[in-house]
Amino acid sequence: MPERQIELIAHLARRAGFGATREELEEYGKIGYEGTVDKLLETSSPQWMSEYLIRRYHPDESSMLAGLSGLEAWLYRMITTDTPLLEKMTLFWHGIFATGYPKVLNAKPLSDQIRMFKKYAMGDFRHLLVEMARDPAMIIWLDNQQNHKDAINENFGRELLELFSMGVGNYTEDDVKECARAFTGWTIGNCEYMELRSARDSDWPYGRISWHYQFDAQDHDDGEKEFLGRKGNFNGEDIVEIICEQEATARFIARHIYHFFVADEPPVPQWPYQSPRDPEAIDQIVQAYFDSNYDIRAVMKFVFNSDFFKSEDCWYEKVKSPAELVTGVMRLTESVDRPKYEHSSRQLRMQYMGQTLSNPPSVEGWDGGTTWIDTGALVERMNFASEELGKLETPGSKELFDKIAFEGNGDVEAGRIIDICLKHLGTINVKDDTRSKLVNYASKNGVIRVVDQEIDELGKEKIAGVVKLIASTPEFQRA
Amino acid sequence: MATKGLEQRQFLRYVRTVGMTTMRGRGFYYPMDTTMSSSGRIYVLSRSFERAPSDTIRITMLNEDGDYFGVFGSGGIGNGQFRWPCGIALNDQNRVFVTDEYLNRVSVFNESGEFIKHWGTGGKNEGMLNGPCGIVFDQDNNVLIADSQNHRIQKFTGDGQFISSFGVYGNGDGRLNLPWGLGVNQEGEIFVADWGNDRIQRFSPDGKFVAKYGSSGRQEGEFMRPAGVIINQEGYIYVADWGNERVQVLGPDGEFVQTIRGEATNSEWADDFLGVNVEEAGARKRANLEPDIEYFNDDPHEESSHIEKLFWGPVSLMLDAKDRLFITETNRHRIQVYERNN
Repeated sequence: MPERQIELIAHLARRAGFGATREELEEYGKIGYEGTVDKLLETSSPQWMSEYLIRRYHPDESSMLAGLSGLEAWLYRMITTDTPLLEKMTLFWHGIFATGYPKVLNAKPLSDQIRMFKKYAMGDFRHLLVEMARDPAMIIWLDNQQNHKDAINENFGRELLELFSMGVGNYTEDDVKECARAFTGWTIGNCEYMELRSARDSDWPYGRISWHYQFDAQDHDDGEKEFLGRKGNFNGEDIVEIICEQEATARFIARHIYHFFVADEPPVPQWPYQSPRDPEAIDQIVQAYFDSNYDIRAVMKFVFNSDFFKSEDCWYEKVKSPAELVTGVMRLTESVDRPKYEHSSRQLRMQYMGQTLSNPPSVEGWDGGTTWIDTGALVERMNFASEELGKLETPGSKELFDKIAFEGNGDVEAGRIIDICLKHLGTINVKDDTRSKLVNYASKNGVIRVVDQEIDELGKEKIAGVVKLIASTPEFQRA
Repeated sequence: MATKGLEQRQFLRYVRTVGMTTMRGRGFYYPMDTTMSSSGRIYVLSRSFERAPSDTIRITMLNEDGDYFGVFGSGGIGNGQFRWPCGIALNDQNRVFVTDEYLNRVSVFNESGEFIKHWGTGGKNEGMLNGPCGIVFDQDNNVLIADSQNHRIQKFTGDGQFISSFGVYGNGDGRLNLPWGLGVNQEGEIFVADWGNDRIQRFSPDGKFVAKYGSSGRQEGEFMRPAGVIINQEGYIYVADWGNERVQVLGPDGEFVQTIRGEATNSEWADDFLGVNVEEAGARKRANLEPDIEYFNDDPHEESSHIEKLFWGPVSLMLDAKDRLFITETNRHRIQVYERNN
């Protein structure tokens, strides 16, 4: 397969997953680009590190007493999954339906919410919205337990329209109220006790008790409502059905998909006032949404096979989020095969880079794009990638040394070292200027010599130095 | 088989619950194992977790009635400290031995919790350790350790001198996959919770394969990642069927007798807490703690996360002098006690 085709698949792997090793890319190459899209979209039986293993060695990932429990397990899943798109879609929805610890104050329902996103991430958008509305963490996050038949609380109804489906300017204040009425009675079981425990961060006497959705028919307003020009005795499911029929909803979700998977859009609050970067692409995604009857998998298939996605104009245009960067680096090391004590610190490094999953900065989630980069975060990103990829003893590093040793006995030319390393780290296509600097660095450090198909320790350290430098390049830090 | 129903109903019955969740001091925080001295003092090993303050890792001393005798040990790598403590056992002099599956060593304390020494070196050669977890003393007062990530059982003197080992990685007879809990019967036979193989294996005192019980599954007599095993004086085999969130009782030859799923009530310490936190106690009283729920999946872990009285993370088993079974639950930070229903 032509190298350019492999590079295109590498672009797909970075966006629809967390990047891929050269070996994975060559395997994908055998089935071609469209075959790879189909393979990535096949998520019916995902495999990742055994949950039993995670629970055995990290008991807090099982019952979740700590504030941000559950995130280490999610990181394990992202690193070890064989269906990276499913995890990527889960991250995507988590960013839109952003729910955070500071109000929920219980890691278990937050973790359960992520699990729910994963289950419904790539199906019918209606199902996802209904499950999201029933999600106990979301109910508490947006106060729907306080949304009563005789005293509505508009918070969930407003955010459902503003942030989760249509965007401002596409509904009226009356629609918000009617929407809220339809969701009265959607609450959590044992609400008084669970809210009190959360308010006190109480795990007494016997640890966390998972939350569950409960429909309180007595507290549900089943009267007639007028919503988006339609009249009826709507309940929450009806409201979701009407929302999903709206072109505004299709456009809103299309723009989110474009922003997350294709190229950066401005922050959501600016959308009503600023046109999309590629209006034609948004139109096409909207069409795919309606053509598929709101099927997200079909929409994603369209996006990944589209010309605007494949265009080289958008390669390396997106800054990897901390979650994407940490996951991608650890996948390249191929060193995470069972739970380790040190794993906890990787999740913390993600936080130091500016992203704490299940703790978004606001209900609007993370802005993404270049907002991931400030001086401190950039240093942390480069340090993390360099430290992990520069370790000599990981399976990933050993594979790299073998590839260079395979060049044959003798001195390996600096340019060749750079090419092998760039391919090894996911087939990164750096700019000529960047490559020259890398070659210059490799040349300055003296030759790397292969003797008896082996590289000595000093040579390995030199190669690790090259890898560390590549990990700091803009191309590696971007997707 | 005709008597199975009778035994299922009658073999063990619930007695009481001991302990509660606390990060420090009087309580437990992710307890992994429990042992009891000849005087009835209970030692509960709390593992805590990586990001928690170091003093949340500890061994809590108490008795069954809830009398509290203090704590010892903490997180760290120094003497008397732990990273991933996993198993606890007492020898015939009431010295307390604690395995650490991260530091690959065994720490020894006296009955009061004063540090004496530690021994053990990480590695895969004979006598070295890689993930030591389950620990039990045999009749000769030698210590058996589940050297889990080496997939073997090793025998040492109490001073840490290597004696023998058996087991290699695999799923055939006598082979092991991440073994965890250990038990020894009256005849000195060794029972291994062969965690990764979803079975219990029985070995002669010198490590020869004798029998295996169970296979993967959720039916009676099947196991899902068993973590603990103990044998009573009559030869009944109790299994902490960890991944199924239950305890199973097998007869002396491995035949199924009973499954228990847990029926915890308030411990002395729980009552103390609720007695002074009346608002929380009131809300708890008004709540339905056994709601009828459509669960996200059919994993018992899910049900146990919702229904507080059920076992959640039943990890290790202990028998007292009265043949009562103490079941330690990591995720509920407590011990449920059962007795024979004679």
